[in-house]
Amino acid sequence: MKLETLLSQKGLVLQSPSVDDIRDRANSLNSSNEPIKLFYGETYDNYGHTIDSMKHYFFVSLLSKSIKKEGYKTNPIIVVADVAACRNVSKSLNDEYIKLGEERAGFVQKVNGIYNLELNIIKMSDYLFTREFQDKLEKIVSICKENPLLMEKIEKTVPESKIEIERKKGFAYSFDEIGTIIDLDVKVGPPREDLYDDVTKDIAKIQGKKELMSLFLTPTFPLGKNWAYFFAHDRIEEHGITAYKAGSKQLQDNRIIIGKTTLDEAEKLIEKSFISKKNYLPNPCLDIYLISEMAKINLENENSENNIEFNNIYDDFYYGNLSEKQLKNLVLESLNNYILGKF
Amino acid sequence: MDDKGRKIAEEDYKIKSDLREKETSYYVEKMKETGLKGLERFVAYCPNPSDYMKNGLTYAHMDLEIIAEAMADNKPWAVVSGLNPSSPLHLGHLAIFKELLWMQENGADIFIPLTNDESYVVGKSKSLAESRKKAYEDIIPSIIAMGFSPEKTKIFVDSDYLDIYNVAMDVSNKLTLNKSLRIFGIDPYSEDENPGVMFYRSAVQVAQILLPQYEEFGGPKPTIIPVGIDQHPYISLARDVAERKGFIPPAEIVTKFLWGFDGKGKMSSSREGSAIFLTDPVESVEKIIKTAYTGGSPYADYQREHGGVPEICPIWSARTYHFQKDNIIGKKCSSGEILCGQCKKEAIEEIKDFLSEHQSKLPEARKRIDDFILKTPIRSILR
Repeated sequence: MKLETLLSQKGLVLQSPSVDDIRDRANSLNSSNEPIKLFYGETYDNYGHTIDSMKHYFFVSLLSKSIKKEGYKTNPIIVVADVAACRNVSKSLNDEYIKLGEERAGFVQKVNGIYNLELNIIKMSDYLFTREFQDKLEKIVSICKENPLLMEKIEKTVPESKIEIERKKGFAYSFDEIGTIIDLDVKVGPPREDLYDDVTKDIAKIQGKKELMSLFLTPTFPLGKNWAYFFAHDRIEEHGITAYKAGSKQLQDNRIIIGKTTLDEAEKLIEKSFISKKNYLPNPCLDIYLISEMAKINLENENSENNIEFNNIYDDFYYGNLSEKQLKNLVLESLNNYILGKF
Repeated sequence: MDDKGRKIAEEDYKIKSDLREKETSYYVEKMKETGLKGLERFVAYCPNPSDYMKNGLTYAHMDLEIIAEAMADNKPWAVVSGLNPSSPLHLGHLAIFKELLWMQENGADIFIPLTNDESYVVGKSKSLAESRKKAYEDIIPSIIAMGFSPEKTKIFVDSDYLDIYNVAMDVSNKLTLNKSLRIFGIDPYSEDENPGVMFYRSAVQVAQILLPQYEEFGGPKPTIIPVGIDQHPYISLARDVAERKGFIPPAEIVTKFLWGFDGKGKMSSSREGSAIFLTDPVESVEKIIKTAYTGGSPYADYQREHGGVPEICPIWSARTYHFQKDNIIGKKCSSGEILCGQCKKEAIEEIKDFLSEHQSKLPEARKRIDDFILKTPIRSILR
């Protein structure tokens, strides 16, 4: 798939660096024989692996393949943030969450194999405690502590309800995240991560490092919920729910969880899902379709004909004759053929 | 137009533009003050919002979320919209009743208390009997003629539905005199106040709002009250009582006022030339509209050049909110494409057509009054 086509994918890419910026970065790294580092990182919970995590794996892979096709070296990285996941739960759950981290990494590996994604999968615990990373972290913390404006931004990365707890912990969660992403080139993630990206860019500037490029995919929305649910949740359009945590907002029954959700259950969820012809409102069904089609493209190793279909679905639905019912049928068919049927 | 005329036209345009700004900021400020939310998200998500919600006449809410959930899940919900029967319905009331119809089409049970007790105690009618008569002769037939379903509409005249006073007693011990006096701005030592006003405004009004949640009507359920922005404190009082009684605090939806044809404020039955009543002779429309205040200029040339100020024009608001699907007239007025004479001519025809049609339904509506009158006794509070 052409880089331009991928980055202009409506309904999938919310905000992206320009194609030229990505090429320029790849080009400058190429001269020193370095790959462009493409990244997606996630935590998890104990409800299982979501199809919405796969959206990000598939995208990073397609991004990497598109850049490689132009002759550049890439390093597509998926970080399973096991240490961060443990920081979010009580100490008694630490062992369980470390084990869940192994499972998540295993899951990403499995997806990597099935769909030929060519991703490098790393756990946070593999690098977080190394001397090299700790030195990097120390420098970042020291820069921030000397700069009240940066500390203000660090505080903003934490939800207000958790600010006191995080303050006591020295904002370890936020600093680990910043240390993880500061040397990357393109970071793929949901739009809710903009606060991390923003402060990371400021720190990189002070350190004279290259700037991180943020690429936001569309937010994740629950399936099987009617219009009233979305109306009742202020600003859900902007933030959605957490893609990689199946139990985000206790909506585990409204997610497609790989290995748990059956085709029948998925069908019921899709059937009951809110759908609207207004393109500024959430469309969880279209999202599932785009994920399934990315799966298909990866499986079929970028058959160009499929790419055209993938590109047009958004316009067909919002501006064309594709009805809500037809879209839902397409979603279910694609989901079954390219995702649920593969596990 | 000479220089003097231009100066007059410019001043007039400025006065009208300032008035528009004042009106806009009034509603914005009131929303902030009361903590109400705008309706934009509801209009975006609801598959079939009402015309008034789409055109902005109904513009703010509190807790509409609980109503949306009931609507989407086909669960019971109710609306209470009371009316003081001291005069017949006019075009200003039409917005509320069309909104109620929309709610009924979307599953609501509609409760319409006609508060002849209030009319009497506040001095708007000479006797309970006078406003009672007005309720049955003018108002109830007009409501029925608008197309409400008898199965889902419960109309009552307070003085004929005595159970409402038992319900008022039932809610009274969840109210304090102090709070009620404060909310309604009543001075208990004033020679101008009477105890009936106090009892009506706090206890009876709250009883009407909470009535749909009594056992006889299926128990606690989401309820919404369409109001004007100045009535928000009443809803706050009812929400407090609801919580104390284990009911669901009623939601609120706010509709803007319609300008009176005299241009002196909101449409009101007490100012001559301000309102067109639904029972007015069709021929009388022409006189009121022809002499009505407008958002246009006293000089046609100036208006062609600069346009009018439709947002403060009663003709524009009556036409746009009641008879048009979108704001074409507003755009034509602002651009100077249409002048007041032509606009008034079209308005006369639209209002006359509406009144003729409405009034043709009144004889049949009068025969059906009994089908709509609430008679359910409230016994649960006496057990």
